[in-house]
Order: sequence, then structure tokens, then C-alpha cells
Amino acid sequence: MQIFGVDFFYWLVFLPITGVLLGFLINRLRSEFSFIAFVGTLFVAINLFIRSRSGPLEPVSIASILGINFTIYVDSLAGFVILLNAIFAFLTWLYALKAMAKNPNEKVYSLFIGLTLSAANGVMISGNLLFLLIFWNILVFSLYGFLLVGKADSSRAALKALVLIGVADYLMMLGIVILLIQFGTVDFPFEPRILMTNPWSSTAYICILIGALAKAGAIPLHTWIPEAAKVVPASTMAFIPASLDKLLGIYLLFRISYYVFDISGSTPIRMVLMIIGIVTILAAVMMAMIQKEAMRLLSFHAVSQVGYMVLGIGTGIPVAVAGGLFHMINNAIYKACLFFTAGAVEHRAKTTMLDNLGGLGVKMPITAICFVVASFAISGVPPFNGFYSKWMIYQGIVQLAGDIKLWPVFLIAAMFGSVLTLASFLKMIHSLFLGERPVALDKAREASFPMLFPGAVLALACIVFGVFAHAVPLKYLILPSLPFGVSQFGFWSPGLATILILVGLVIGLLVFLLGTATKPRRAAVFTGGENLHEESDRITGPNFFSSVHTLGMLEKTYQFGEAGAFDFYNYLLSTMRSLAAVFKSVLNMALVYGYRYIGELIRDLGRLAARLHTGELYVYIGWLFLGGIVIFGLLLIL
Amino acid sequence: MIGFDFFLDRFGIFLSALFLFVGLMSFLYALSSIRQKGHRLEYYLMLLLIVGSGIGVALSYNLLLIFILWEISTFAIWRSIGYYREEKAINAATLTFIINFVAASIMLTGLLILYLDNGTFNFMDIRVFNKWAIILIMVGILAKSVNFPIHIWLVPAYNAVPSAIGGCLAGVAENLGIILFFRLFASGNFHSPDFLNTVAVLALVSSLLCGGAALLSNNLRSLLAYSTISQVGFILLGFSVGGYGTIGGMLYILAHSLAKSGLFYGVGTIEDSTGNDDLKSLCCMHQASPVLGVSMALLVGSIVGFFPLIGFFSKLWVVFGAVERSLYFGIGAIVAAVFTLLYKSRFYHELFFSKPDVCLPKHKRPSNAGVAVVFILALTSLLLGIFFYQPVQYLIGSGG
Repeated sequence: MQIFGVDFFYWLVFLPITGVLLGFLINRLRSEFSFIAFVGTLFVAINLFIRSRSGPLEPVSIASILGINFTIYVDSLAGFVILLNAIFAFLTWLYALKAMAKNPNEKVYSLFIGLTLSAANGVMISGNLLFLLIFWNILVFSLYGFLLVGKADSSRAALKALVLIGVADYLMMLGIVILLIQFGTVDFPFEPRILMTNPWSSTAYICILIGALAKAGAIPLHTWIPEAAKVVPASTMAFIPASLDKLLGIYLLFRISYYVFDISGSTPIRMVLMIIGIVTILAAVMMAMIQKEAMRLLSFHAVSQVGYMVLGIGTGIPVAVAGGLFHMINNAIYKACLFFTAGAVEHRAKTTMLDNLGGLGVKMPITAICFVVASFAISGVPPFNGFYSKWMIYQGIVQLAGDIKLWPVFLIAAMFGSVLTLASFLKMIHSLFLGERPVALDKAREASFPMLFPGAVLALACIVFGVFAHAVPLKYLILPSLPFGVSQFGFWSPGLATILILVGLVIGLLVFLLGTATKPRRAAVFTGGENLHEESDRITGPNFFSSVHTLGMLEKTYQFGEAGAFDFYNYLLSTMRSLAAVFKSVLNMALVYGYRYIGELIRDLGRLAARLHTGELYVYIGWLFLGGIVIFGLLLIL
Repeated sequence: MIGFDFFLDRFGIFLSALFLFVGLMSFLYALSSIRQKGHRLEYYLMLLLIVGSGIGVALSYNLLLIFILWEISTFAIWRSIGYYREEKAINAATLTFIINFVAASIMLTGLLILYLDNGTFNFMDIRVFNKWAIILIMVGILAKSVNFPIHIWLVPAYNAVPSAIGGCLAGVAENLGIILFFRLFASGNFHSPDFLNTVAVLALVSSLLCGGAALLSNNLRSLLAYSTISQVGFILLGFSVGGYGTIGGMLYILAHSLAKSGLFYGVGTIEDSTGNDDLKSLCCMHQASPVLGVSMALLVGSIVGFFPLIGFFSKLWVVFGAVERSLYFGIGAIVAAVFTLLYKSRFYHELFFSKPDVCLPKHKRPSNAGVAVVFILALTSLLLGIFFYQPVQYLIGSGG
């Protein structure tokens, strides 16, 4: 497929980076160049998306060198992810235009967005796992730079991300190399798919899986996300951990699980995936419950939602796999929306501490509505999109019944996670938009258009993807991307349900208007007969679930968790450091035994030789004769 | 008997170009950093000797000629490490000279045995490889291309050497052993899987041990020294496993020479401007010089092995060759690579960020010439990484 006479993949990979690079070099035209870059990429992506609906594009081979085939292969799956990449990059850039205006590092910000988009598109179009690894590597580098652009000192979080994802990338490299050596090819499409029958394929799969999960941010490789949340701008969080990393990580997970390998026949691997899934859901949401800072709270949810995708893809049941993939899209939409709107609040209120926020619903109505829609979507409230994908995953888990005895555990864990998500979002909605407003926020006003627009678009998408789930996302995005058909769909009809919900809401409104609820009795707040000073006695959000924090066994766990006891990064670092200490002492011992003793030996020999130098003529003559006899003897023998 | 003449092949031309480039960068860096009165010219003589002997070894097919050039290189290293004439420098230079000279003498014995067995010094005609001869030659190779257990001269040497020469030491002189290894054992008539596996294990052990030591060291130059040893282990691993590993090793020489000499000049620049070489007390250099920060990030990325830099392909193909030989080699290489990632990222983080509250830039700005040299080397690594296709195509034809 060509656009203006140039193959589409050159546009996808080179247009974003070239545009933002020109903008970086020619400072005066920065916004214009970036605009051309992102909108142009969006245009190409839409074209490609439409083209890819009618089956995969013909693979194009550019070059081949030493086992790396530079092949372009775009199928239906890659087609829609490319479109989503372009949309999220454009929205993030638009948002950052306003939000980053006062940041000293603003100049490089769009550069990193463009670089990341280029690399992400490269991952999607590559038809060879080694070629994919090349682009995957650029992402690590650009992520490090991206995270360094912070609102506070973010270098430690950036280092953590670099190490965690870098280590996972090395393992991925190992896995791909094993695959290439053992099976001869790493080109897409794999015909036939590799079954999990021998240890080589399992090793290769697990190695690549670690790379995918690290990118997606599943437990235990997620720890850089909450740490970064506090110190990097909201738009970075919305772009990288919330949307793009999920798209990339889950794309790769899905790609290797059902296109390269076929894990549906291997129960142990599916069990591993599902357990990672539920642990991620529950542990991250439990941490989210107690957070007192908006961005950190959202970041734990960004981790928690990965669990649903991994769980869905791990079941191996078609409907749940489709649900996992659908959840990937939905999560990118509502999570980016949440970060955008929370960032807008931060921009106006200058703080993200939940204690100091409140009552902004009146001041920022559109932001509030978008936030509420997205938080209902993430909590799985019908008819929003998050509900539908979770529903598909639940269905798949129920279908596991004949296969895996533990299925109720998975089902209950997934549902419980959803409940806790709703609980923590009730707290967050209350802390941001409801309740008493602190005096400091009286001057807050609605966010400006560039910061409002991305959130509003995404909130609208939450509704559309939920209400018209069958007609739009499933039909055009998900179902064409699956290597198998999806049969059963339960009894849930989102259109009908929405109508019923709307009817219910209308009845509720009527009751509200007709009843006495519109004429409440107003009185000053008092306790024990004394009027309270509003400012000091506001009921803030963080108190909502403070009792959970002190719940017996959980209390210690939380304390350890906040102190970093479950941080894989710390374990990795300390393991490697203790190994290093052992190695260093081996080196020192080698030095001592290998060199000091040799040195002493040579010195002793020298002393011995010195003893022979007595200074007496007879002794020297004796030595001369002895030497002569030896030489003579040697000549005789030879 | 063959004469003392040279031959050209792709590997030799590639190495000559590389050594000349590294030498040129050292020269440019020295223009601003070598200001000693009195024996200033000595530096230039030693630089030319190091680069010249490196090119000579890369282009000669006569083992005796290689040995002679090898000893010239040893001599030049000895003089340049002792350049500053302090007690520390003289001790380090003496240690270097003794170890390299003794190892080279042992190697000469091995070369002579090969000559007696084959009747020629031309390595392309050697067919009989005496077991003892190759072990003796290996001692010389390991000492020159600092490998465990004959690596101990490198740490004091790096601590004493002027940084202008240090870049050349890392970029040129340490490759001599690897070149000889490639010429004798990794291409041509030598076939002994047991021996090559042993070397691969030795290289991996060296890479792991010194990677660990680098993670724990706080002195900038010691860290660079251990890092060099661990990277040279990778190169030797690549050549000893063969196959794709050979191309990986060749590219690794390229990546490592550029990146390590660049890091050396960067560290030298930082030392000159701050008067400090302790990783714990340095920080926030990116405020003093953002260009230096970006350049060093690229160089570190090249050694760690991230894509837009040439280091990615070298690491990929070394790992490829290692896994082809044995999965254990592959896993070992990955663990060594993780060590590399950890110590390099720590090095970069501590140097350029960390502790922003306590550490304000009080020192003077790094010299522009030094930063420019580091920037050129980083840019070269980047461009080679992006346009890697032609160099790799060129090297594939070199008999790897």
C-alpha cells in the first residue's frame, strides 16, 4: 500500500520522528511541525486501518541480514493498534501543548512523544520477532528520556524503569534467539503455530512473555509506574503506562500466545498467566485503596487493570481472549481519560494530594463528568465499555469449568477486584469533585480547550464502546483480529440494557422532582451543639477506607508494601549486588593466591641464588666445571 | 621463511580504519588536555606507537612480525601509563610491563613451537596445532586482552594513565590479543571445540566476575577498567563460539572501542572540571553540560546494547552465537549483560543525576574540546547503529 508514492510503513516509522525532530531544531515552528507529524501519522493510520479490515496485507521484505529479516507484515490486529497509537499520541501532544507550557523541559517533550510513536508503530508493522526487538529496544531508551522530563526529580523512577524493562528485554532477546535457532524462523505469520510440547518452546515462550509483561506492567515488574506517577506530568502517565505500554505489551502477549505459539493446549502456562492476572488485579487494587495522592492512586489502577487482560488472555477460552483484547482498548481509553482529567484538576488546583482537594464539580463540570464516566467504566459499571470486556472475561472463566477446578477462585477474585476498584473510585470522585471545597480552590475554573478535549473525546468513546459494543469495537476491531471464531456471547445486550438503565434513570429523576427531595432543609453543620469551622473539619476522601489500613493482618502488609518490601526491583538489585560481592571476593582471592604467592616464590628463588654468590673464586670455578659436564652430557645424549 | 610484509583483508581494513579514528580522537582530546611542560612530545610518540602497532598487528600475517609489533605496543603502554611520573603511575607502569612482557615471552615460546611444527610463521599455512603451543599463546592473548586471571594490571593502569591515552588503551591496545585469537583460532585451520569451549567459559567467567566488581566499585576509573574487562570477555566469547558470534565479536570491537574511549574522555573531562573521581560524591553533571549528558547516555547505551546504537547488534549476535553453541553460554551471556546494564545505568545515574538537593554545580564547566570529542564518538556510534547494514555486509565477507 502506498501513500503519495511512498510505502505506508516509511510514513508510519519516519513521519513522527522526522516531524518532531524538525520542530526541535527549528524552534519557531515547533507546534506546526509536530502537528503535521501527528495528524499525518493519524491520516496514514486511518488509511491502513481501513485497508487492513479486509485481511492481512501482503508481507513486504525490505532486507535480510544474519538471521534478521526486515519484513513488514500488517494484519487486522496490528492495523487497529496502529490507529490507537496514533490517536493517543495526537491527544497526548494536544494536551501537553497546554499542560507542559511552563515546564523547563517542554522543548524535548514532543520529541519524545514522536520518538515513542515511531518506535511503537515500528513494533506493530514488523513481521519478524528480531525486527520487532529492534523497535522494542528504542522504546526502552525513549522511556528513560521521557521519564527524566519530570515535574520533580524523576531520575530515580527513570532508572528503575530502565533497569526493570531492560532486564526483561535481555530475556526477550534470549527467547527470540532460542526460537530462531530451534525452529528456524521468527517470521510472521507462523504456520503452523508452535505447540508447547517441548522444553525449548516453553523456555522461549516464557522469556518473551517476561518482556511483554514488563512492558504491560504486570506484577512484579510494575514497580516503576507508581514511583513515576508522583514525579512525572499527567500527560506522560496518560501516554506511556496508561495507554501505549498496555497496547504494546498486551499486543505482544496476544501475538506470541495465539499467533506464534499456541498456549490453549498447555494448562500449566495458562495457569501461570491466570495467577499472574489475579495477583496483579488484587494486589494493585489493594494498594490503590489506601493512596492519598491522586496520580499514585490512578497508577495502581493502571497496574491492576493489566491483570484482567492477562487473565482473559490466559484462559485460552475464545470469548475471554477476545474480552482481554477488548479490555486492552477500553483500559487505554478510560485510563488515559482519567489521567488527563486528573491532570487538568492538578493544573488548576496546583496539588494532587486528595486531602487538599474537593468540591471542584461545580467549578469544573465538564472535567468532572468525563472523570465520572471514565471511573464508572474502569469499575465495570454498565453500560460503559469496561463492563462489557469484563463481562466477556467472566464468561470465559465460567467456561473453564470442565477444564480447571479452580475456576471459581479466578471468577471471585476478578469480581472482587472490580468491586474494590469501584470503592476506590468513589473515594476519588468524592475527594476531587464532591464534598466541601477548600478555600484555596475558590478561584479554580474549568480547564482550557486543549486540556479538555482529549478527556472529552475519550469519555465519549467510553460510552460508545460500551453501548454499541457489538456494532463498533467488536465488529471492526476485535473479532477480525482473532485467529479463532468466538461463538457464545451470553444474554447481555448492551443496547437493550442501556435503554433500561436510561428508563430507570428517568423514573428516578421524576421521583426526585415530584417528591420532597428538591426542598431539603438546610442547617449549619454542628457537632455536640457547636458549629464547626468548615475548613478544618472537611470530610476528605482519604478517610473513606482508612479502617482497611488498620485491619489486623493487612496493617503490617501495607506498611511493608509502602516501604518497598514487594518491590521486585529491590530484590533484583540486592541479588545482583550480593552476587557481585561474591565475585569481587573471588577476584581478590585470585589476586592473593595467584600473584602474591608467585611473587614470593620468585623472591625466595632469588634469595637462594643470592646465597650461592659467596664471592669465593673456587666456588665459581666449581660451577663452571659442573655446567661444562652437564652440557657435555647433553651433547652425548642427543 | 617469509618476509616482514603485510596483507590486506576486510577485517584488517576495518580495524585499521577504527584504530585510526580512535587515535585521531585521542589526538584531538590531547590538544586540550595534555599540557605538561617538558615531556609533552612523549605523549604523541606513544600515541603513534600504540596506533601504529595496532594497525600493524591487524594487517600482518607473519606471527613473528605480530610478536614484534606486540612488544612495541607493550613498550608504548608502559611509557604512557607512567606518563605523569608519580609514584602511583610508575608502580602501575612497572606492573603492566612485567605482566605483559612475561606473558609475551611465554607466548613467544608457543609461537616458536608452532614454527618448529609447521616450518612457517604464516598463520594461514599453520596446520599442526600443538596442544602446549596454543595454551602458551593463550597466556599472551589473555594478558594483552585483559582477561581473568591475568587482568590485574588494568585497574592500576587505568587509574594512572592520562585520559587522552586511556581512550587509546581501551580502543586499540587491548584489541591486539583478540586480533591474534581471531587470526589463529577463530578463522582458518584450527578446529578444537574443547579448547574453544574452555576459552568461552573463561571469557564468560571473566565477564561475570568483573561485571560484579564494576557494580561495586565507586571509583570512576576502576569502574571503567572492570567494565572493559567484562566487555572484552563478551568479544572473546563471540569469537570462541564462532558462527554468528564471530560477526558479533567484530562488531563488538567496533562498538566497544568507540564507546569505551568516549566514556574515558568523558570521565577525563569530568575529572578535569571537578577534580573528583569518586562516584559517590559526583552528581548533577547534566546541569553543567547537557551535551555531555546526552553523549554519555548514547555511549552507555551502546555498551549496554540498546538499539539505535551499534552495541545492540554486537550483543545480539554474540548472544546468538552463544546460544547456538550451548544454552548455558547464552544464559551466562544474558546474566553478564544484566550486570552491564546495572553497573552502567548506576554509573550514569550517579554521575549525571542523583542527590539534586545537596549537590549544586560549583565546579567549572567541562572543557568544550573534551565534550566535542565525546559528542563525535557518540554520534558515530549512533550513526553506525542506524546505518548498520553496510558495515555488517562488509564484515560478512571477511571470513567470519
